[in-house]
Amino acid sequence: MRKITIDPVTRLEGHGKIEIFLNDAGKVANTYFQVPELRGFEKFSEGRPAEDMPQITQRICGVCPEAHHMASTKALDELFHVDPPSPAKKLRELLYSAFYVTDHTTHFYILGGPDFVMGPDAPVAERNILGVIGKVGLELGGAVINARMQNHKIIQMVGGRAVHPVFGLPGGVSKALNEEERKEIEQIARDSVEFAKLSLKVFDDIVLQNKEYVDMIVSDAFTHRTYYMGLVDENNKVNFYDGKVRVVDPEGKEFAKYAPREYLKHVAEHVEPWSYMKFPYLKNVGWKGFADGKDSGVFRVAPLARLNAADGMATPLAQEAYEKMYSTLGGKPVHHTLAMHWARLIELLYAAERLLELSQDPEITSPDIRTIPTAVPDEGVGIVEAPRGTLIHHYVTDERGVIKKANLIVATVNNAAAINMSVKKAAMALIKPGKEITEGLLNRIEMAWRPYDPCFACATHNLPGSSPLPIEIYDSKGKLIKKFPAG
Amino acid sequence: MKTVVLGLGNPILSDDSVGFRVAKLLQSRLDESEVTILEAGVAGLNLLDLLVGYDKAVIIDSIQTGEGKAGEVYRLDPKDLDKTRHTSSSHELNFATTLALGKRLGLALPQQLIIFAIEIKDASTFSEQCTPEVEHAIPVCAGMVAQELRGD
Repeated sequence: MRKITIDPVTRLEGHGKIEIFLNDAGKVANTYFQVPELRGFEKFSEGRPAEDMPQITQRICGVCPEAHHMASTKALDELFHVDPPSPAKKLRELLYSAFYVTDHTTHFYILGGPDFVMGPDAPVAERNILGVIGKVGLELGGAVINARMQNHKIIQMVGGRAVHPVFGLPGGVSKALNEEERKEIEQIARDSVEFAKLSLKVFDDIVLQNKEYVDMIVSDAFTHRTYYMGLVDENNKVNFYDGKVRVVDPEGKEFAKYAPREYLKHVAEHVEPWSYMKFPYLKNVGWKGFADGKDSGVFRVAPLARLNAADGMATPLAQEAYEKMYSTLGGKPVHHTLAMHWARLIELLYAAERLLELSQDPEITSPDIRTIPTAVPDEGVGIVEAPRGTLIHHYVTDERGVIKKANLIVATVNNAAAINMSVKKAAMALIKPGKEITEGLLNRIEMAWRPYDPCFACATHNLPGSSPLPIEIYDSKGKLIKKFPAG
Repeated sequence: MKTVVLGLGNPILSDDSVGFRVAKLLQSRLDESEVTILEAGVAGLNLLDLLVGYDKAVIIDSIQTGEGKAGEVYRLDPKDLDKTRHTSSSHELNFATTLALGKRLGLALPQQLIIFAIEIKDASTFSEQCTPEVEHAIPVCAGMVAQELRGD
């Protein structure tokens, strides 16, 4: 097989793509998951007051701005050496839980659901939420829109603005909650719990009762035995907002547990010549290439990883759902990538239950929402679980709090190596010499990366005419033989 | 007729802020008692939330057609975006699908919808400024939108 050098600059056209290279025999030789580079963030941040960062960084992504806002705010707490009062932390977690409800709902019904509801062989034109609604009914479609709208309302109430809140301050938040708002949030939370239960039932009816889908989920082509990372609370239960970072090995044993500020002792970044992306790996295991196993430093983040890295869920219904998933799939940890969709719905339920808990907390309407910082700022790290994985904001400032250095490790980058591996393994299992490369086959390859819902801080909206992640297949001479979608 | 003008974009990604910038310019020029002018850095379903309840919507956004010159302004109809109806990512529930979804669910979406799209050069460098050709297009586009709203 000829060695092909891929220069990202000549290959990319603004959005990401997957490239599959075949060898002379027509088998998959290699695959590359390419992302465009966003340039100049460090320079852009230098000279800015650190307190602006929650507003600025939430603009990086139009889909999960609340995650950046929260990580940034927590970095400010540490930067200014200030601990927010308990009501402020609860308000932050309340807003964050509402955000999770909107985000996980959107992901399952728009992204993950269609593959299973319509089936991987359904034509592209039907494999979307419109097809889903056509199949499961308008009422469910309405429930999806409603769950999102109501929780966005919570974000607006608590955070001052929907989607891009003006909320986080070092040492607290900008606004307290009154009883009227609290009551409204409590009701929305109850509805959200019901909606989450319904979503798990939809998954059960449509996916788990369908043998073909279950076979696909547990198939080796979509399985990787990696390390897993996620935030846990002091009881080692999944927590999106706060806690320590916990890593378990491929057998589920705890490998590391650390406070945010220690992340550089545990995570390093590997560089490949064919990608703008850096590939984080566990420093204390080492980079051994794009490989599975205990000896490889590759780790995964996001819903399935979080559940694998924790000992359980902190709320009762989610805990029940968690136990059901693990008993169905043969124990912990679960290595089947497609199970991320299931784990996501368990997290949806947890987020709704947690939202309800917090809305009923006696402290939630307290006016004590800010500790004013008095210490001199220097350096701060804030880590949250974004829906797509562990998100890190790291700021270094001068003594006035003006940014000297800002580093972000966005959630999906932690999954970068795993995404490459997932695509390659699926491609190798599905593309065989002499076998026709159909749309259905290529969609199954797409199903290998879709569970990760990659977010590379792209532009906030789709560019008409382009597909988010086209797949291009090249023969052994480097000639493009198939492109999907074709347009 | 309840009208909304929506400037879409990302205010920190160079040319991708152009929709925002046009909306901001219009805010200083138009009487906001007659028309609502919003800036939004959102996509997909979040966009739907912003359109509900209006009779007419004018959307301003950046575009990279691969063929045009930076700074060119196009006036588009939702039907022009119809052939892009395809989604495989929650980040990419594109506009055409979003509209179709809203209609299917019976949401009160605007009957009249016009899109002004500005051809851009750079949407991958962090900056609060647009590139020169795109900066020049901002008042041009604002003029076209104002004309559209007057019914010329």
